[in-house]
This record gives sequence, C-alpha cells and structure tokens, in this order.
Amino acid sequence: MNNITEIKNNLLGDSYFKIKHNSGLTIIVFSKSDYTSSYAVFGTNYGSIDTAFKTSDKNEIITIPEGTAHFLEHKLFESEDLDAFERYAKTGASANAYTSFDKTCYLFSCSGNFKESLEILLDFVQHPYFTQQTVQKEQGIIGQEIKMYEDVPDWKVLFNLLKILYHKHPVRIDIAGTVESIAQISDKTLYDCYNTFYNLNNMVLAVAGNTTVDEVLEVADRLLKPSKDIKVERTNYDEPCEIVNDYIEQKLSVFMPQFNLGFKENYETPKRSLKEQICTRILLEIIAGDTSPLYKELFSQGLINTSFGSEYFTGYGFATVIFAGESKDPREVTQRIKEEIKRLKTNGINEADFQRVRKMLYGRTIMGYNDVDSIANELISCHFEGFELFDEVDVFKSVTLLDVEQRLTRQMDESLSALSVILPA
Amino acid sequence: MENSFNITKIANGISVCSYNTNRFKTGRISFNIAVPLGDNASANAILPYILNRSCGKYPDFSKLNARLAELYGAALTPSVSKIGEAQVIRLSMTMIDDRFAFENESLYQQCAELLCDLIFEPNAENGSFNESEVNREKRLLLERIESEKNDKRVYALRRCEEIMCENEQYGINCYGDTHGVEALTPQSIFDTWQDLLRKGVVQVNIVGNADVDVICELVKNRFAKIPRDEISNINTKIIKSAKEVKRINEQLPINQGKLVIGYRAGITEQDENFGAVRVMADIFGGAPYSKLFVNVREKMSLCYYCSARLYRKKGIIMVQSGIEKENEEKAITEINNQLKLLQNGEFIQDELKASIAGLKDTLMRVSDTPEDIDAWGYSQMTANAFKSPQDIVNEIENVEPHQVIEAARKVTLDTIYMLSGEEGEENE
Repeated sequence: MNNITEIKNNLLGDSYFKIKHNSGLTIIVFSKSDYTSSYAVFGTNYGSIDTAFKTSDKNEIITIPEGTAHFLEHKLFESEDLDAFERYAKTGASANAYTSFDKTCYLFSCSGNFKESLEILLDFVQHPYFTQQTVQKEQGIIGQEIKMYEDVPDWKVLFNLLKILYHKHPVRIDIAGTVESIAQISDKTLYDCYNTFYNLNNMVLAVAGNTTVDEVLEVADRLLKPSKDIKVERTNYDEPCEIVNDYIEQKLSVFMPQFNLGFKENYETPKRSLKEQICTRILLEIIAGDTSPLYKELFSQGLINTSFGSEYFTGYGFATVIFAGESKDPREVTQRIKEEIKRLKTNGINEADFQRVRKMLYGRTIMGYNDVDSIANELISCHFEGFELFDEVDVFKSVTLLDVEQRLTRQMDESLSALSVILPA
Repeated sequence: MENSFNITKIANGISVCSYNTNRFKTGRISFNIAVPLGDNASANAILPYILNRSCGKYPDFSKLNARLAELYGAALTPSVSKIGEAQVIRLSMTMIDDRFAFENESLYQQCAELLCDLIFEPNAENGSFNESEVNREKRLLLERIESEKNDKRVYALRRCEEIMCENEQYGINCYGDTHGVEALTPQSIFDTWQDLLRKGVVQVNIVGNADVDVICELVKNRFAKIPRDEISNINTKIIKSAKEVKRINEQLPINQGKLVIGYRAGITEQDENFGAVRVMADIFGGAPYSKLFVNVREKMSLCYYCSARLYRKKGIIMVQSGIEKENEEKAITEINNQLKLLQNGEFIQDELKASIAGLKDTLMRVSDTPEDIDAWGYSQMTANAFKSPQDIVNEIENVEPHQVIEAARKVTLDTIYMLSGEEGEENE
C-alpha cells in the first residue's frame, strides 16, 4: 500500500496529499477542482552544484564535468523514436524543463488530456537514450545557449560575484558549464549520472490543478518501475570561510554600470532553515526595500533606478545576501548600503518598520498560492529543502522583531563582502 | 455572470471588463488607457511612471509604498506597451482577496480607490506636475530606453521593427525616444495627462471577488467632470505585402549574433481566414514541435532558440534566432526555406493537429490566473468586438490544410536584420 498523508492549512482553506509511492517516488498532489488547467513537475535532487558525489553502495567519490546536469536535462527529451516534444504535440500540453543549482525538473502544463501528458512525462524521464552522436549534436545547441548568456549582463554580474566569493563551491560555475567542460561529456557520463540521480527515491512528482490523487496514482501505478533505494550524498566542498577577492569588473555592451554586492556567510550546517530565510527576507526589506529610508535616498539622488533589489541567495552549502541594480556609481551605493547595515546593527530595528514589512511579505506569500505552476514548483523546492508548503505562512504569523534582530547580528559581515560590476564597453 | 468576461460600457469610450470568480487568493484591478501611437509617445510613456509614484494624498513614494505595504503588500505596476499602433498606458494592482485580511476590511475597494487617487488626483499644482518628480522620472525613462540595449534579444527585435516600419507609426518605440523625453516639461506632461483622460479609450479590468458595481460607480464619478465627447480614433495601418527586401547589419561588442527576420502576414485581424494565420505562424515557429525549432535548432544544431511570433494587430510575423555570425546565411536560407515548405503545402496532418491542440490548450489556460485574465482583457481593448479565448478556439479548431497554405502564401519577406559582434577587419 502507498503511504498517504494530508497536509492542511485552515487559513488558506487548502490542502494537499503527500504519497510515498511503492516505487520509492514521493508524489504530491494539490487538487484545485475549480481550475481548468493542471501543472505537473517531475524533479530530481540533482543540479549544477553536484559535480562530485558519493552513493551509498560505493565508496569512491565520483567527479563529473561542469554542466552535466543541464546537459542531461536537454538530452532526456530524446528517445530512439519520437522525442518528448513530438509526443506532447499530440496532447496539446506545453512542456519544458529547467536545471538549477540543486535540482533538475521536467514539467508540463495543460488544460486537457492531463492523464495522457502525465504518462508521457513519467515515461520519458524513466527512459534515457543517449548516443555519442546525439551528445555531439547537443554540444552545438548548448554551446549557443552558453554564448547567449555571455551577453546577458545580469547573469554575468552574478556569476562574476560568485567567483570572487567562493573558492571551491561549484555554485561559482555557470549552470550550463563552459564550452570546454561540456566538450568532455560523453554518453557514458550521462548514463552514469542518470543511473545515480534519477533513482525514484531521489525524485519527486508534484502536481497541482484540476486533477485528483486517484487519477495521478492510476498513471503512477502503471508507469513507475520500483527503484533500488540508493542514497546519494553531496560531498563536503571544503569551502574556506574567506572570500577570494573583494572586487571584480568586466566590460559588456550596457548603457549603465550594473552591480551585485554580496555578503558571504559561513555555517556549520549546509542548509538554512525556513525561519532563517524568512528573517533574512524581512531584514532585506527593512534595509533596502522600497519603503526604506535608504531606498528613498538613493532613488532621489539618482544613484539607483527601479531595477534595484535584494535577495537571499542560498542553497546546499552556500548562503549570500545580494544587493543588485544599475547605478552610475556602484561604489557609492555599496558604501551607503554598508553604512545603513552598520546603523541598524547599532541602533536596532524600529517595531513599526518590522510590522509593515512583515504584513507586506505575508500578503505576497498568500499571493504565491494562486497559480498552479508556482504551487507545483514550490512543492518540489519545499520537499527537497525539508519543509512543507504552508510552513511559510505560519512562520510569517509567528516571527518576532527579536528573531529578526538576532539574525542581523550574524549576517552581512563587511569583511566578507565583495562587489561585482559590469561596465559599459 | 461568474467565470466569464463581462463588458459594461459606463461612459463614452470607457468600459469595464470584469471577470467575477472566487477561485483565486488574489484579485487584480487594472486601469488601461489607449491612444494612437504617434508624436506624443514620450509624454504618454512617462505618465504611468509619474502617476504610479505619488498622488495628492500620498505625495511621495515612501508614503505611497507604506500605504501599499499596509494593503498587505498590494503590488502596483505601471507599464506602457503597444497593441498595433495604439500606445497603451497602464496601471495595475494585485491584492490579496478580502477573506485573508486580518480584520475583514475590503481590499478591492481600497485598492480601487487608491488607483483612482493616483490617476485622477496626481501630485500636481497649478497645471503642472511636481518638478523634481518629473526630473527623476525623465532620468528613469531615459535609462529605461537606453537599457533596452542590455537585453540583446529585445534590442535586435526592436531595431528590426524600427527599420521595417520606419514609415509607419508602428516603428515608434512605445517608450518614446531620447529627444522626446528630454524635451518634456512638468506643464507639457500635465497637458498630456488631461488629454489622456479626455480622449483616451479607457478600459478598467477587474478580476476576482470584487463588488463590480461599486467600482464602476467609483470610476464613473471620477470621470463625471471630464468632457468625453472627443474620443481618439485608433487605427493600425497594415501593409499587405513587402515591396523589396531590406537587409541591415549592425554591430555591437557582443558574443552571439542576433538574427531577426520580419515578414508581412498579408492579412488583417478582421479577415475571415485569420484563424488560419494563427495556426500557420504556429506551425512555422510557435513551439518546440514547429518547423523552425525542429529544423534550425534540432536538425542543424545552429542555435539555442529560433521562433516565429505573429503580431496580430499589425499583421507581421517576426522570426528571432541567436546564431554565430558565420552561420548567418545558412540560417536565413533555412528559415526562408521552411516558410516555402509551408507555402507548398509540405507539412503533415500531425503538424496541423499539433498546432491546433497546442494553441487551444494555451487559450483554455488563460482563465487560471488573474494576471492572464487581465492581460486577455487588455489585449481586446482596441478590438472592434471583444473576443473570449473560447471565441478564438472556435476560429482555429477547424482550420483546414488548404487554409494554412493560403495563409502562408500571403506571407512576404520584408526585412532581415543581423546584430553581430565587432570585428576589426570588418570595419569600413
């Protein structure tokens, strides 16, 4: 029997079901019977940072070329006869896939023929077909994808920053790898990675929309082949606490300089809790959100424009606070942000500011439970991170000013900050 | 009626497009004003950004943002865009549904009032907007225009449109241009604002569980003192076939070349066969099952993306691809060849079926997010008659192969634009 749990939230009036399927796969179903469409995403806990790993049935650490996870994502769409896109063409679903730092996901959305599309998804992801010839063909396509990103300033400014913050952690490498690294990928590399990471015990299927648990299980029972439970361990990246450098610049065809200011963080454990993440988001809004005094000042003085923003950039083994934007004077903006952080560390945070920001972010969180695509993608992320989808609402309700102030004391250490700038060519 | 589009005309040139539903956790209200795209583009373009930043009641953006935060992080977004040769000025708001408010307050109504305050009672005095605000927004708009260059795909597409439509209003950038923005004054923008309210075609979209009648009354009252007897006529000039092929090469310091090919579709949206044009453009390059993706990307391995998009109001089709400069001729030849195959009827029943199924599926998904419903209402605002997604499904569902061929044969090549990296030896 499959093991089924219901997860509810009274405030939202929503619930979803989490099923540990006999095959080893975790299946999550969030029904929205009054919607027309459905969205399904089938993901593995394997992304660009997994360039070295160890499995529970072997002792050695295996190292693979950078960009392999993304390459595999491209190639999985192919099979010996019809590729996945040709099959979806018959159901009308829109299909896609993405690779992030720590996961690879295959997805489709549809307003009809849900079961047929789900069959295609479960089937093609479980049937790899790689040959040396198809691998070579893809090197040309992905080579162009990598080149395309070389002209995207927001992408370059981020990866340049990560390169001067991190010595070893593979987060410093472009998700797609490099033209040189992908040249080393062979059909064998792909099969090795596939057989390791595409084990159903390492994967999740999340579905949201106009469907039911029964409908999903009917397809799953037919198509899923039980996998041996092999545990994959991420390696310790031996990342030093210090940063590599505190400044980097590059010239590209842009109108105005773009910048990313990052503050690296170091922890004993590889993952940040939901509460740590939420406290940080509240902090960032208080420091530099569009209701903050700092934002008003920089904006009025012409030092930033509407592209300015901040994020908590975190995943397995990395955590960095990033402020990003366009400015004629990135160094001045950096200085002012650092001063504001210092001021808040000394003077503390005003209760009214905290409450305003908390209310705003709470509203934004509720907005996130609207669309089937964001729900399904969040379900996968939350599962891999180890919490439930509705936990966020609860944390926003219970978080206090003291929590946020305590968080501030251990974040945004000036000695671990670095600035990345793209200058007009 | 629940779960369908309802159009109510509330005054001359002013309508409310509502979609009542309680499926969503959020609601959305947008205020859209359309005027002919023309000489005054820069002044129109700056307005939503000025109106979105403050108003008489919240005279600076920190006060306004604090108010939005109080409304549970209601998101206010200004934008300018073009639908054919209409320039559309737009302010939209997303808010959480009333049932999630801590004290049962009505957020729809408060948000609608705030939107009206922004639009009808801006931060202005004696026939002029606030000078320092205007200066700030001029700077931001200039930066926005210049920053289009940062995204090379967008930039190349815009350049191709400009070149292809240089003698048509459509060639005007919806953000205006540098000279136009620099010449703006607090008074001239104020005059433009008054003109918009008097002459613009207005549509207010409301999605969610709001009391539509209350919002209609609100809008009607705000317009009560504004003369609405001289509404702009919005028409888009459609060139049915290209005369000679324009070919332009430009250079910037970039790594990957951007190829854009512009075609005239040879048909207007009012034509009976328009459903077939949608299907034809989709078989050509709308999705991963389309000819361009399957051949130029998958078979020839020339690029990461190669797609075609139909701009229905203007009757043009734009193909875009990111390629190496050395593959330029190869890609152009193959893209034109794929069109020729369509014109010769060399596509199979499966390709036709795939396009119809794909387009239909996408259309039926519009009703599942407030943003898509709002965007649909917006897309119809300059149409002669409002069409729902289902109406479009009906137009495409029974398209026959001969109609696709007929549509493809009307397509003519107009402009080939290539943006590539700078190479010393190629400089003249």
